[in-house]
Amino acid sequence: MAMLKMEEWYDLARETNWTPSYVTEDELFPLPMSNNFDIPVSTWESFDEPYKVSYRDYVKSQRDKDVGAYSVKAALARSDFFKKASPHWKALLALHFSAVCWAEFHSASAFGRMTRFSRSPGMRNMATFGTLDEIRHGQIQIYFAYEFLKHDGVFDWCHKSSKTENWIIISLRHALDDIAHTRDATSAAIMLNMGLEQSFTNLQFVALSADAAKCGDHSFATMLQSIQTDEARHAQIGEPMVRIMCENGKKAEAQQLVEIAFWRMWKQFSALSGIGMDYYTPLEHRENSLKDFMDEWVIGQFGRTIEALGLDLPWYWDYLQYDISTFHHAQQIGVYVYRATQWWRPIACVSPAEREWLESKYPGWNETYGKCWDVVIENIRNGDFEKTVPAPPPLICNMCGLEVSGIAGDHWKSVDHQVELDNRLYHFCSPVCKWIFEIEPSRYKGHASIIDRCFDGTIGTGPDDFYEYMGHSFAERGVDGYDYEWIDGYDTPQRAAE
Amino acid sequence: MVDIPVACNIQGDYGFKVIVVDDEDTMTEVIRKATEQIVGVLVKQFPPDAKLIAKIHGADTPLPNTATVKGENFRQMEAIDIYQEG
Repeated sequence: MAMLKMEEWYDLARETNWTPSYVTEDELFPLPMSNNFDIPVSTWESFDEPYKVSYRDYVKSQRDKDVGAYSVKAALARSDFFKKASPHWKALLALHFSAVCWAEFHSASAFGRMTRFSRSPGMRNMATFGTLDEIRHGQIQIYFAYEFLKHDGVFDWCHKSSKTENWIIISLRHALDDIAHTRDATSAAIMLNMGLEQSFTNLQFVALSADAAKCGDHSFATMLQSIQTDEARHAQIGEPMVRIMCENGKKAEAQQLVEIAFWRMWKQFSALSGIGMDYYTPLEHRENSLKDFMDEWVIGQFGRTIEALGLDLPWYWDYLQYDISTFHHAQQIGVYVYRATQWWRPIACVSPAEREWLESKYPGWNETYGKCWDVVIENIRNGDFEKTVPAPPPLICNMCGLEVSGIAGDHWKSVDHQVELDNRLYHFCSPVCKWIFEIEPSRYKGHASIIDRCFDGTIGTGPDDFYEYMGHSFAERGVDGYDYEWIDGYDTPQRAAE
Repeated sequence: MVDIPVACNIQGDYGFKVIVVDDEDTMTEVIRKATEQIVGVLVKQFPPDAKLIAKIHGADTPLPNTATVKGENFRQMEAIDIYQEG
């Protein structure tokens, strides 16, 4: 018997809405899990996914992707790539896998909520594939990451990190909990898809995959490609959702969801991928800076996408330009000088040649953030290694969980945005983090940053208490990835002067 | 004598650091405690004749160096900027 073509049965097969008779509509779709924003179900049913696929074709496609990625991995398994890789690339791999494996796996929960509680059958269908995607992404990445465990114990953190109270993990978890895991299905779909996948990960994985190939890490590159193609598909759930909201009088609500989610993910992207792009990528393979990437793909392409959907550019778009050129440079100093609080081996990435690159991409870098590095470098050259680690801890933003930072050096600019509430002073690294807090203080006010926990008695005052609280054994405290050998570049006075 | 955490940003540093001061400390003592821990670590030495002053972050005017933490009603995690006068 001849099979029908997909387009002949697809629309009918996904019409899975029905009128409940044993329970009420509200019981079937409780508000905390399924906000319809007062848009009738008949309108939600107009959701039409731009990327249609049958389950049969989905499974075949995913199987082919897995075969490709695992085949490359198997073929390269006996290579000495990892052993020969530079500390730059090893640091980037450790940072990527430890932050991404569990985040992807947890995303399956958010997509599962969309699958069950979305009002639109088309969206439920797409979210089903998204759920399966995220399970696969968690599994394939941790499988690839664990390949390196026999070489380097830091890859234990690819699984362990999400269970710890490490300060960077608290920061990332807080952001993902906010946009994906504590929102109703409609809001989570818009926030996760538009604020993370459409804007950042879909595009970032293309760039990172290209970098991996240039560095000779072909198994990582192939794995990223296999993930990116999934992201490109399920990230499109958000677009029809936003369009329906805008066309039915809910533009302001959609706008706010996108603005919160985008900013929360930008701060994570800035600190993690910004450091990855502008510092950890080996200089010989570094072409585009974070700023280049943001200008082209986010400010440009993502900006056009949201305007085409009927939204406005976020109110903080001008401030974003400032943040792109400043925030991650400050965070990189903090990640390095507080390196014992990281699970991987941080690297400074400020050799004379790297500084030249940073100055070319961020004019004025040497007069600003470079001034802090000058002091660190001088201490290392003098053998005063203890003086490369500040005794006092940094102030942490009560929204993004990253350092409250401004501009360093000759153009010093002290930045802190505050809210006083219930006799507690909250600090924020940006007006946008503060704005998000003020939208819904009851949602955020109970959270204590890692530094708040040091002063409210949660963390003990003994010398090892802080590390034990974060889940770090002594061996799991980060040290300079190059054992300070990068400082050799400064030992030739003429080169240093240049 | 009550310990109080204060967030300080010293001129030249990339961000705030949290130090513990005594509520009877004067601004001179607060500045000393902050600079001892950060100058020479992330910020280069100030000139020997430099006079450092502190102000509540966001305020227009600095605090007198004789003012105390208690006298200025510092809150927990009060944020101050420390910088060279002039």
